[in-house]
Formats: sequence, structure tokens, C-alpha cells
Amino acid sequence: MNSESSSLSSLEPAGRAQRREFLKRLAFVAGSSALLADLPWWSPLRAAPAGDSPADRVRVGLIGVGIRGNALLANLLKTPGVEVAALCDDYAPHLQAGLAKVKGAKGFADYRQMLDMPGLDGVLIATPLYLHARMCLDAFSAGKHVFCEKSLAYTIEECQAIADAHRGSRKVFQIGHQRMFSPAFLRAFELVRDGRIGPITQIRAYWHRNGDWRNPVPNPGPDPSPFPSLERRLNWRLYLAYSRGLMTELASHHMQVANWFLAAHPVSCAGYGSINYWKDGREVYDNVNVVYRYANGTHVIYDSLISNRFYGLEIQVMGPKGTIEAETGRIFAEDPPPAPGIVQLVNGIERGFFDAVPIGGPSWVPELKKDTKGSTLVRERTSDDGTAISMAAFVNAIRAGEPIPGMMEQACRSGVSVLMGHASMEQQQKIAWPEGFRE
Amino acid sequence: MNTRFSVVLAGIDAEKAEALAAAVERELRAQERTMSRFDVEGPLAELNRRAAKEAVEPPEELWEILLLCRDYWERTGGAFDITLWPLNRLWREHLEQGEEPAEETIAEAKQQTGMERVHFNEAAHTVRFENPEMSVDLGGFGKGFALERVAGNLRAQGVEQAFLSFGESSIAVLGSHPHGPAWPVGIADMFHPTRTVHTFHLKNASLSSSGTAPFNRMEGRRAQGQIIGQIIDPGSGRPIEGYRTMSVASPSAMEAEVLSTALLVTPERERAALLSGFSRISAVEIVYQPHEGDFIPRIQWQYEL
Repeated sequence: MNSESSSLSSLEPAGRAQRREFLKRLAFVAGSSALLADLPWWSPLRAAPAGDSPADRVRVGLIGVGIRGNALLANLLKTPGVEVAALCDDYAPHLQAGLAKVKGAKGFADYRQMLDMPGLDGVLIATPLYLHARMCLDAFSAGKHVFCEKSLAYTIEECQAIADAHRGSRKVFQIGHQRMFSPAFLRAFELVRDGRIGPITQIRAYWHRNGDWRNPVPNPGPDPSPFPSLERRLNWRLYLAYSRGLMTELASHHMQVANWFLAAHPVSCAGYGSINYWKDGREVYDNVNVVYRYANGTHVIYDSLISNRFYGLEIQVMGPKGTIEAETGRIFAEDPPPAPGIVQLVNGIERGFFDAVPIGGPSWVPELKKDTKGSTLVRERTSDDGTAISMAAFVNAIRAGEPIPGMMEQACRSGVSVLMGHASMEQQQKIAWPEGFRE
Repeated sequence: MNTRFSVVLAGIDAEKAEALAAAVERELRAQERTMSRFDVEGPLAELNRRAAKEAVEPPEELWEILLLCRDYWERTGGAFDITLWPLNRLWREHLEQGEEPAEETIAEAKQQTGMERVHFNEAAHTVRFENPEMSVDLGGFGKGFALERVAGNLRAQGVEQAFLSFGESSIAVLGSHPHGPAWPVGIADMFHPTRTVHTFHLKNASLSSSGTAPFNRMEGRRAQGQIIGQIIDPGSGRPIEGYRTMSVASPSAMEAEVLSTALLVTPERERAALLSGFSRISAVEIVYQPHEGDFIPRIQWQYEL
């Protein structure tokens, strides 16, 4: 699957017709048994893309039409065989803007009314973190398939409740960790599995931005919602009642990748966080630093801050033979190949030989750039970070009526990991993986 | 400098050796920034961008390097020249298409080259190019210059035995091999790399090789009738022909580097005269001749003083 997965990126899923072509190609790759053994969540993509007949059509509703909801919507509208039948948002301007984009969709302010709408196969939840659990549970109760944005839930108990409700339900559940469907991350995973960097000895991940992480808040006017204020509604990421800040909203992506690559969840973590720059009334940390420990002694070091963007975002997967930087899609060999003559020279010195070494000649230059600058994991980067493929996987899984294998495990592991990190920083002590947690 | 650097330090403990190696790496990276024409933010790229329009004052280190290069250009009668980039580019572009440039195109490119067209203002420390297409390329100088610096620094740190190699084409040694009176360095047969054509015995000296290779090294495969590592004769404006290498040993890494190219483009009968201005030089020219589908190396010319 090596050559196949790296060819994925050369196809840009632009419009709906192009995306159908893309998904057709993808179906070949996804059908590989080697791929499915390691990435079971790719199995829905084995199916050829649906046609346009009404029988093939999957009807979904989107709860939360904010920034992330709009990104999902844009991708859904290009995905073959899906109808966005309903949109829900309790913030009227977002709902109206969403409805303007989708012909014929019904609008709802209350998601429970949307769940009662007849003929809806599944829902996508792109709402503030504290709402995820109740919406997932209500959607399962209503017999809907569920796509939920990351992070899984606001508390570990809620993560457990979602996993419990889903277990045995035969409903599709998918979490919004798009790196699970990113060709660059897939390629990185293959290289690790194939031993190109040796066993993973450390993962270091960071997400750095420079900005206040705020959304503009318009002049409120009359606000009938149960929220205390428009500021808290639109900037929910900054308040502890709705979010756990950088850990749940950013770190969860890299913790998902780390848990995936290490095929494990952390056994414990310890960290520090503070508000040391954006002292503007926010409640969540503006810088976080957490070290996760895994059962085999591997550590994942995570840090994030929003007062410096020099290093940007990256996840560095390290082993004795090399380093993979998965976000920028590069692999670096630990040791560039030594000059053959130099090896001979050193061997001679160590063994007490005095021999001429045939070494001089026109200059050696690297045969490939990778020898000095790292080599790229996929031939071209597409604009899709995996979200487009995620949407296709969700829709295909609904059409097939098959839950996506391995998905809830990934969702729980990253969801719990970031909540452990948050708890460790809040309580200033080591936090263990919750005993008895069932993924 | 788009190659690898190897350093072998003998007779010192590992911890000190690692600290020295790290210092060497820092030095080389600084040198590369000064001398790379590809680092768009670097001083050489800036000089190449601006010097045809106005007098440019390069940083002190680059200024010193340019003066050295002008000095070597004079001492080699113009055989060593850092301004041949327009000719190099012209030939590369044409040979890639499998053709030779026309005579008038070559003549035109020659007008854009030549150290005599680089004007130095010694009082103001500024440099100006006479022609808008002119460009300085330190590819045939930088490795030797950097090696000389590194060797000097290591010597100052008390290192007595070391072997330094820049992509195997530029080598400098300190002292002698731990088990012998000198560092023996073989010039490899480039068609049969395990065979040695000639051996230099270096002690506190440097060795530089220049030449044309039959391999497209950037692609790791044999080029289709194409010579890579092309070396332009500034006199004729044409690349030298055949597969040949010139290896020069000298107490100075810089001089070895300069002379390996300069001798290659100088006719045999004029080489002794050129070398009369230098001391303690030994040089060997190897020519590879086609023979029954293979290439056989022959020592074409040799000099010892």
C-alpha cells in the first residue's frame, strides 16, 4: 500500500464530480487488507462512491453552524450521495447564513426538534464541548448515526457514557479527528510501522499560535437564549463551563495521533498550565505543558501556547533511526550515510592498520535532497487535511449501515487523554488513566 | 554547500571530540551562510542581486573572501575565476537539451564574466559589477576556505591528529595517521571506486580534487552522454572535455582548492609556470579513456615541488 497511499495526495477533491473520481480511486486503496489491519476506520471507504439516485442518498442534519460546522458543511456539499436535510443552531445569524447555503434544508433552533424530524439518517455535531455528550446520547436514543466533532466530551464520565450508549447499538459513530483520514498522516504511520525510524522512543507535539483566540462578538441586541451572554456563546472556548481550552480544542488532535501511533492510551500524565499573557477575563490557560507516560516507558510531550507562533504546529515522532514530522510531512534519517572511505579509515585506525583509503575524487553531492533536508511523505499536499475523506467515510458507513471499527476507541483515548491533562494542570498532580474505563 | 562533511579526530577523548565536532559544525554553517549563492537572505545572494545596479558593501568576511579570490585570479593568470556562472548556466541549459550553444552566444556570455569586470573600491570596501548579468559563485573556493578555517581552529584547540573531508573532494589533515608517518589518501578510480589510482601522503596538508564525472550525481544514475560537474575554461568559454580529474596537495586547503580547478583549465605546457608562484605543491591529473565498454584511468600529468 506504500505506493498507493502516497498517490492519494495527487488527487485534489475540488468539486463534487472530482470528489467522486477521487473517492473511486480511494476505494482501491482502502480495500487493501494491509491498510485495514492497521486502520480499520478506513473500511467504509472501500465502497465505490454513491450515484445520484434517491435510493443512494443519505440524509443528514448538522447541529452547530459555526466555524467548524461550516467547514463540515462545505465538504458535505461536495460529497456524493448525501443530502443536508436540516441545519440547527440556537444562534440565529449562524443558522440563517447556513440555510442560505443549502437549498431546501429545514432550520431548527433546538436540536431535539431536529432529532424528531422524520427521514433523518444521521447528525453531525459541531457544537461547544460541553454539549457533545447530551447531543450524542439524545441522537443515539433517537436512532441516529452520529458524527461528533472533537474532543469527545467535557468529562471522562461523559466519554464513558457515550461509549456505553454506542456499544452494541449498530449505529455509526465517528469523531472529528480528521488526521485519521489524512494521506500524510497515513503515510507517516506506514513509515513508522515499517520500521523506518525504529521503535518510537518519544513523541513531541506542539501547537503554537499568536493571538487572543477570540471570535468577534457583534453588538448583542435582544438575546433570548439560555446562555448568559453573547460573548460566552461565541467565545465558549475561553470559559471553563463550556470547554477545557487548548487541551480539548487543539491538543486532542495530536493526542489522537500519538495514541494511534503508539497503539495505546497513556497510563498517566503530569502538567502545568497558566494564564501568563492573555489576562483578559478568560478562564482557560493560554499556555499548557503536559507530559504523558505510556505503559512501555514512552513519553509524549505536549505543549501549546497562544502568545508565540514561531514554531507553529507539529508532531515529531522520534526513534533511534529517524524523525517524522507529520504535520509538514517530512522524514529525517538520524544518520546521513557515512562516506565509505571514512568508515574504512576509522576501522583502520581502531584496528591499528596503516592503509591508504581510496577516498579522494570529484565532490560527493547528495543523490537526493532527503539526505540533507528530509524527504516529503506525500508527493503533493492537498488543501484537504482529511476532513473531505472523513465526510465520505461517515456517509458511506451510514449507507452501508455498518459501524466504523476502531473509531470509538480513538475517540475515547484522545478525549480522555486531554481531560487527564487538564485535570493534572488544575490539581497540580499526576493523573492516572481512569481505572476500569471501557472504550 | 550541498555535500557531506566528515571529521575523524584521533587520540582525544570522546567527550572533547564531540564538543569539537559541534564547534566545527557551527563554524561550517556560518561559512555556508556567508558563501552560498542560494541562500536568498545571505550576503552573497544580496551582492549578486544588487551589485550591477550600485556599489555594494558586503560584510567584512565576504569582502575578505572576494579579495582572496581576486588575488588567486591574478596569481593563476585568470585560470581561477569566480565569475563564470553565466557560462556555466549557458552550457548546462544547452547540454540538457543535447545541443551546444552557438559561438556568438558563448561570446556574449563571456562578456558577462571575468574578474576584471568586478570593480573593487578598496577605500570604501564596496564591490560593483560592470555587467547586469554578472554573478559571483564561490562553489570552487568555499570548501577550501572553510576547511582551512576549521583546520586552523582545531589546531588552536590543541588537536594534533585529524582527518577532515568535505565531500571527499576537499581533504585536510592535521599531523599524521595514528599508526604511520602521514595520512595516506588514495585517489579513487571513479569507475571502480575501490581501486586507487594514485596515493598522496599528507602531513599537515590538504588535498583537493576537481574534475568531470560521468554520473549524474544529483539523480544517482549514469547520465546519457552528459558530463556532470562541468568545468568551464574561462579562456575558451567552453567546458573541458573528457572524464578527467586534477588532484592537488598543498599546505593550504584554499590553494589546493583553487589550483585543482585552475590547473585543469590550463594547458599542460603552461602549468609549471603557473605553479612557480606557489610552493610545496604536488599534483596529479588522471584521464579516463574508453576501453572495451569500460574506462581506464591513466596518469596524464604529474607535478612535484
